[in-house]
Amino acid sequence: MNYQLNWSILWSGQTGGWLLNGLLTTLEISSLAWLLALTLGNVAGALRTAPIPPFRWLASAYVEFFRNVPLLVWMFFWYFGMPPLLPQALQDWLLDHGAEFWAGVCALGVYHGARFSEVIRSGIQSIPKTQFEAAHSTGLTVWQTYRLIIVPIALRLIIPPATNETLNLIKNSSVALTIGVAELTFQTRQIETYTAKAFEALAAGTVVYLVLCLAISTLMAVVERRVAIPGMIAQGNASEF
Amino acid sequence: MKRRFCFWLIVLLGISIADLSRAETTLEKIDKSGTLIIGTRTGSPPFAYVNKNNEWVGFSIDLVEKAILPVLNKKLNKQIKLEKKESAPQTRIPLLQSNAVDLIAETMTDTQSRRDNVDFSLTFFVTGAQFLVKKGGAIKGIQTIAGKRIAAQQGSTNAKIIRERVPSAKLLEFPDQPAAFQALAQGQVQGYTNDGIQLAGLKAKAPKPDDWAVVGEFFSYEPYGIAMRKNDSDFRQAVNVGLMDALASNLYFEIYDKWFGPKGEVPYPLLPETKRFLQMQVVPK
Repeated sequence: MNYQLNWSILWSGQTGGWLLNGLLTTLEISSLAWLLALTLGNVAGALRTAPIPPFRWLASAYVEFFRNVPLLVWMFFWYFGMPPLLPQALQDWLLDHGAEFWAGVCALGVYHGARFSEVIRSGIQSIPKTQFEAAHSTGLTVWQTYRLIIVPIALRLIIPPATNETLNLIKNSSVALTIGVAELTFQTRQIETYTAKAFEALAAGTVVYLVLCLAISTLMAVVERRVAIPGMIAQGNASEF
Repeated sequence: MKRRFCFWLIVLLGISIADLSRAETTLEKIDKSGTLIIGTRTGSPPFAYVNKNNEWVGFSIDLVEKAILPVLNKKLNKQIKLEKKESAPQTRIPLLQSNAVDLIAETMTDTQSRRDNVDFSLTFFVTGAQFLVKKGGAIKGIQTIAGKRIAAQQGSTNAKIIRERVPSAKLLEFPDQPAAFQALAQGQVQGYTNDGIQLAGLKAKAPKPDDWAVVGEFFSYEPYGIAMRKNDSDFRQAVNVGLMDALASNLYFEIYDKWFGPKGEVPYPLLPETKRFLQMQVVPK
């Protein structure tokens, strides 16, 4: 009962191209979803700390609703539940132009936006109250205070947890295969189908995810060091890792 | 630091692969545990599915229970229990190879490339790929799917054929049958391709069976077999003897009638030539 490992299946025939296509789709869906998540997260995170109660309620409702339902359910919602609500012509156009991809972007982006917003909120709330007061006393409005002082500082504070969320988002993009998006995990399964070599295909997928995520965490560590405000944030030796 | 990490990764991989080569035959394993573990499906009526009473049943499961289990009982001289595990096209070969299950009894097509990695029993069912569409739809068969959105089950042989024969069709692959059917019902795709018998099963189980039609000539040949670990001929022999006894003694046709007969779950008459082919696989005692 010996399993014959045959690594050459990973570069012979079409499999190499499939892996590359899968990686590109994963990068596309993840980066679009990341932009959406960051936008939604920033707005919702800032609103949750705003001094105006209805804004706080609205943002809390968004966060609690979207982060407490499984991502898989959101995938099905955006793919199966959303299109029937659109006009027929738009629906047909979408279905012919990769509806599953856009549904995947929405599902990932909105779900992770809710999670990002909590990260940003904790960043804002860790900023001393005196910063708000100082901004006020120089004559800035609430909007200006957030835009010019609070959010820029908060964004610097939250780089480590935001990196975490980003890596999660990339790995969660594999859930999109349930609605037929041909991303990286999908392609490893495809290779397994054609070659019946499951271990090699999964190992290849694992290595690609690992390399991708390691590259991103390294990049974020560099960004963290670059944008740090000297004297503002206690850096210690954390950046050496 | 990085080099050491790579080293441990390789060690880990090595251990997991060495683990696979443990030499214990399947019959010894079953004898020791007193259990036959099979990999099967929950959503492929009528071969293997969960019915209205929440029981995990089907044609493939019946074959194992009524034809193969008695042979094992006799051979090992004890009452062997049957345990069912969920398997999917992407997981079934790894499940076998990692010893998590002893055989795969569902709707697995015997192919030459799969035979490089697993062994198959005799063929226990014969079908071919067709399309499930909304009644009156534009798709009439594989000649009419160019440019259309077609759903397929990921890991199936049908998807592979469509990709090769009609590259202009927009193929969408779903991990399981229910998701693919949902996409068809919602209009995300215009047709769903799978083995004809599975589509007939899906149609029969749909809320309004008359809304759906199975169309087109068979565009593939799909002989179903029971998959087992490679190079374990004693166990394969036991499975084959079970199937041959059932085919010779009419037990097979009773089970067939229960699921595919006029009063069965999915009426699907057995063609005379198919019946003859199945019976001719039985070798003399």
